[in-house]
Amino acid sequence: MQVEYINPFIESVYELFSTMLGAKVQRNKLGLSSGPSNPRDIMALIGLSGVACGTVALSFPASTALNVVNKLLGTENRVMDDTVSDAIAEVVNIVAGSAKARINDGDGPVIDLSLPTIVRGNSFSVDYPSKSKWLEVSFESELGPFSMRVTFQMEKPKGDKA
Amino acid sequence: MKVLVVDDSMVMRKVLVGALSRAQITDVDQAGDGVEAVKAVGKTQYDLILMDWNMPNMLGIDAIKAIRAAGHSMPIIMVTTEAEKARVIDALKAGATNYVIKPFEPSTIVSKIQEVVAKSKGEG
Repeated sequence: MQVEYINPFIESVYELFSTMLGAKVQRNKLGLSSGPSNPRDIMALIGLSGVACGTVALSFPASTALNVVNKLLGTENRVMDDTVSDAIAEVVNIVAGSAKARINDGDGPVIDLSLPTIVRGNSFSVDYPSKSKWLEVSFESELGPFSMRVTFQMEKPKGDKA
Repeated sequence: MKVLVVDDSMVMRKVLVGALSRAQITDVDQAGDGVEAVKAVGKTQYDLILMDWNMPNMLGIDAIKAIRAAGHSMPIIMVTTEAEKARVIDALKAGATNYVIKPFEPSTIVSKIQEVVAKSKGEG
């Protein structure tokens, strides 16, 4: 997996924050990881299939997740409830959807998205197949810190036996 | 004006209801997937529909096809993360009137709603 593959996802995070969330966001260092993800309070995962096949995961501490929901809805929610799960699911859906159009310049074969999955709690561990490599990037934002993990492969062109 | 907002995300429905409110539209029903949307349109006369694409049970594009096949001609704005040109073309062919890609500026969705509503009134 090439490091630059994560760039469309980072650009999508920036676009989401500048439009719907109206908050500044800055990425930290980018790394390649094969180990389990750091546990956070809420994680949203979504699958990509088609010419690009893989998974995108966004992880938030509760404080950031609550700030995202409150910014979207103009509320002052302080409880990690179904509304927070719903909002974080929509966030990963938007990031992945926006990124997939950037991957193929909006003009190539369509990449399909699965429906998002949410994991809530602070004592879970997410393990991945032993050979999978994940690109991980953490972010600092006006709404708090969060991180993103991405793994996917591009379909080999037809006739490419490599 | 009566509007139907269709999205499996309750939070996104609230965001869109808020945008409609800023466009002075407050008579709004909500549906959580395409099946609910088709049922709602069969029971109630809507002047505008905001439709998500990726939803459980029935995709938004299939709901649009079903609504058009049933003879309904109200404007339908697709509001979706599906940004590829092929998707936009498919939606317009299926009967979508307009297309808004998520993420969007709040002002963008409001102006798109106002534009579609104004055009619809002009045609009516």
